[in-house]
Amino acid sequence: MLNKFINKIAPRSPWLYRLNAGSCNGCDVELATVALIPRYDVERLGCKYCGSPRHADIVLISGPLTSRVRDKVLRVYDEIPHPKVTLACGACPVSGGVYRDSYTVNSPIDQYIPIDVVVPGCPPRPHAIIEGVALALEIWRKRLEEGTCSRS
Amino acid sequence: MLPFLKVLARNLRQGPSTDPFPFAPTYTPARFRGRAELDAEQCILCGICRHVCAAGAIQFRAAEDGSGMEFRVWHNSCTYCGLCAHYCPTKAIRMTNDWHLSHKGEDMYSFAETKFVKLGQCAECGATIQPRPAAIVEKLGARYPERFMLCPKCKRETLANHAASRKVIRVEEAR
Repeated sequence: MLNKFINKIAPRSPWLYRLNAGSCNGCDVELATVALIPRYDVERLGCKYCGSPRHADIVLISGPLTSRVRDKVLRVYDEIPHPKVTLACGACPVSGGVYRDSYTVNSPIDQYIPIDVVVPGCPPRPHAIIEGVALALEIWRKRLEEGTCSRS
Repeated sequence: MLPFLKVLARNLRQGPSTDPFPFAPTYTPARFRGRAELDAEQCILCGICRHVCAAGAIQFRAAEDGSGMEFRVWHNSCTYCGLCAHYCPTKAIRMTNDWHLSHKGEDMYSFAETKFVKLGQCAECGATIQPRPAAIVEKLGARYPERFMLCPKCKRETLANHAASRKVIRVEEAR
């Protein structure tokens, strides 16, 4: 009963968590723009950036997952409670972007972390990120209803 | 005195500065570089786009029956720099201003623009040559358009015949 009620109201306020997997900061600047500048304002969708991975619902991953940061990223990712939705921001997490074939890069990231939504771009436009967050929100709502998670 | 009154009046007049995007359409600049698009009719398969692509997103694959090449640009590797469109000699590649590219994770390896470019045929013997669209004929073959449509072998034969016939005429004139 209580669970049902929580599942109903939770999709109104997904909390975002930004996970930098060795990004060049281009995507991170756009991600900050999406929330901090009133022109784009992702908070209209009820989203809010949070500082702790334990409070997060939607994870925004940017960067090609460098080997130096890989284990830390995986540790932080495992701290995020289920059901979580992963959004890969930019070209790097999927293909490595311009860093592809480098010896320090572990992309594609989906050999470590399941990716639910991809927003291509280098970096993507803030509008495109908002579109991706809206798509992630739908997936998250579905997961809450079905009680599934990305690893299952 | 009371400078906020000025700000208040301005805000009331202008309305909210927030872009209404997910709920209403937004403004896209006309020259915004979004998804790359290939016009297969214009492509001459020179491969300069693959050569200049910073992210290595462009691939060409030969068809098994040898009738053409498959052009492929993977949007998840593309950096939208527009170099391919800049260097394309026939303007076959174009950067559209379409940025609605977010998609689900299961499609991420197939999210590409795939076009099949057919090879051209020699006008004389029918051997396969690079495609010859009108744009490149105007650029490189404007002086001898018929010769431009031939394969290297037929071109050599035509040139040799041409030179030989001129020599015969000259020899006849000398007599």
